[in-house]
Amino acid sequence: MNKAKTIALAMAALAAGMGMAHADELRVGVEVPLTGPLARVGMGTEEGIRVAAEVFNKTNGKHTIKLITVDDESAPAKAVAAVEKLANEKVLAVTGGYGSNNISPASDAADKLGLVYVSSGGVDDSLVNSGRKNFFRINNSAGYQKALVGLISDLNVKSVSIVYSTKEATQSLATGIEKTLAAKGVKVSMHAFDPAITDFKPIINKIKLQDRSEFIAMSGYENDYVGILRAARVLKPNVKGIAGVWSLATPKMASDFPDLMQNVYGTAVLPYPVAFNTPDGKLFADTYRKLFNKEPDYLGQFGYVQSMLLFEAIARAADKGTLQKNGVAEEMRKTDRQTLIGRVQFDAKGDNKNFTQRMGQHQGKQIVLVWPKDAATGKPVYPGVPW
Amino acid sequence: MSELIMQAVYSGLLQGGSYALIALGLALVFGAMKIINLAHGELVLLAAYIAYTVETKFGANPLAAIPVAVVIVTLTSAVIYFLVGRIKTNREINSLTLTYGVGVILTNLVLLIWSADVRATSSPWMQEAFVLGPLYSMRSEVLFFGVSVVLIGGIWWWLSRSWYGRAVRAVSSNRDAAKLMGINPGLTELVSFIVAGIMAAFAGVALFSYGVVTPAFGGVLTVKAFIITVLAGIGSIPGVLIGAVLLGVVEALTVTLASSALQELAGMGLFLLVLFIMPNGLFGATRRRG
Repeated sequence: MNKAKTIALAMAALAAGMGMAHADELRVGVEVPLTGPLARVGMGTEEGIRVAAEVFNKTNGKHTIKLITVDDESAPAKAVAAVEKLANEKVLAVTGGYGSNNISPASDAADKLGLVYVSSGGVDDSLVNSGRKNFFRINNSAGYQKALVGLISDLNVKSVSIVYSTKEATQSLATGIEKTLAAKGVKVSMHAFDPAITDFKPIINKIKLQDRSEFIAMSGYENDYVGILRAARVLKPNVKGIAGVWSLATPKMASDFPDLMQNVYGTAVLPYPVAFNTPDGKLFADTYRKLFNKEPDYLGQFGYVQSMLLFEAIARAADKGTLQKNGVAEEMRKTDRQTLIGRVQFDAKGDNKNFTQRMGQHQGKQIVLVWPKDAATGKPVYPGVPW
Repeated sequence: MSELIMQAVYSGLLQGGSYALIALGLALVFGAMKIINLAHGELVLLAAYIAYTVETKFGANPLAAIPVAVVIVTLTSAVIYFLVGRIKTNREINSLTLTYGVGVILTNLVLLIWSADVRATSSPWMQEAFVLGPLYSMRSEVLFFGVSVVLIGGIWWWLSRSWYGRAVRAVSSNRDAAKLMGINPGLTELVSFIVAGIMAAFAGVALFSYGVVTPAFGGVLTVKAFIITVLAGIGSIPGVLIGAVLLGVVEALTVTLASSALQELAGMGLFLLVLFIMPNGLFGATRRRG
């Protein structure tokens, strides 16, 4: 009798425990491109999201995050389908997304379903100007623009040729940079290119023979940068510096294309070799290395920050019992904390109003932060080009 | 301005050579079997990634990857042929679905093995400038332009002079009549797939040597190859080179004289214009008369 009682009690305790565990398991949807043209950036972001879940589950004793991942295949229609699938899986919010053209319809779908959607993969301003109530992003075009324009101004450049992809985000960034530089009295020449272009020599030749600019600014992606830098290396335009934005000042580019990257500037959150000084940063880096056996990169950092802020907001809403009453969005709006990318606060449109990138420069095998001065880890090599 | 135009024509010429190399295999299979191999771009991509592996793992020049790429890509091409050969009805249409599916599988295989990172050669020799007076290019571009011309010449000779080449043309012209003449159509079609695989292997190594590859690039290559094949006229091998060079030059001149954002549009405009004026492509009608 005693034995049966003990078993019954144990089973009851186990059931209660399971019930509690189930109640505390917070389901979060991850919608990222794991295949298609954006697979590389999608995978990088997803790594950061997984690190955030790992760190959160280790450090938060009360709640557990369960990630449910769906590949959006780098396609807008698939991104919408992914969000709808995640909603059917009863997720509390969605993190991920890459490419403004994918994020826009996906976040619309999330908005209609009453789900918070947080991203770091879309910098087009229309994302925050379309009246979405549940959309949040931690980075934006303005932050990249500030950094690139800031560097160009500090280097006292008088003329710039901007080479940019006609994709939504890169074009929006390029036109923003053009306006700001023109307002500062810098002579700007614009060169749009179709994303399918592989031979950049005709463009670089125009810069060399017609523009005769002091500086080349690139707004594109990794494959574009490699093509542009190769063409420039062949034609050797008489410029003093060359800079780009995302995906350029990264350890991966330094190791894969060492000859092409020398002295090239790009936006960078941290220098390389990475130096994490905060406990949060160290925890992130250690977990990242443990999970993926490599050094963390900027995509991982962004994925980590956006997801950690979301997980914390979900946990707060769960504690207040407001998960089903739009509590996640409310808690996201209350966010105000230092992160790996600086202080994050969301404005009424869901944009991070404090976001400013830094500029790094490939110097030898390192990436040295050269702008702004208060974050700089070294001086810019200027004039300096890879050829 | 003249210097700009000269450079644009030169760049377009070299770009055309690379386009021709990519299109050659697709044009051969299309001409021989009326089958559009939608996995052709992925075969080229596979060869490019093999070149990447040979360069990074063994520190060898990408050219050293050609024998390995030829073996692997040709085998893959032969497998595609065997799959296509199993289609019993409506082969021309059903093969589109099949080869598209094979393309998706190959893309994901590349993604799985080599990850989604951007890959390009780090060989300094390939990337160094080749200067011809006021004209600039990479050494690899000039090298593979030459390879492209030689291979096109070789394929043209093979189709017009060798027994198997003539057999391919005979099967393409009338499969049943060719059978009556003692030609094995299945074997002949397999040979054309094998030769297409060899061409794709060279194209892939070339692409890795002067370009940038990512796993999703295969589809773009197939579309470009298809445009050139139709532009050239079905079955016309010299037409592939001329069509490809024409496309390359028009694209480069568009960048120089108008905007680089219009490059692809200009290419498609040329494609539609040629088809409007010459529905059989640049050399299609001549071939039929012959």
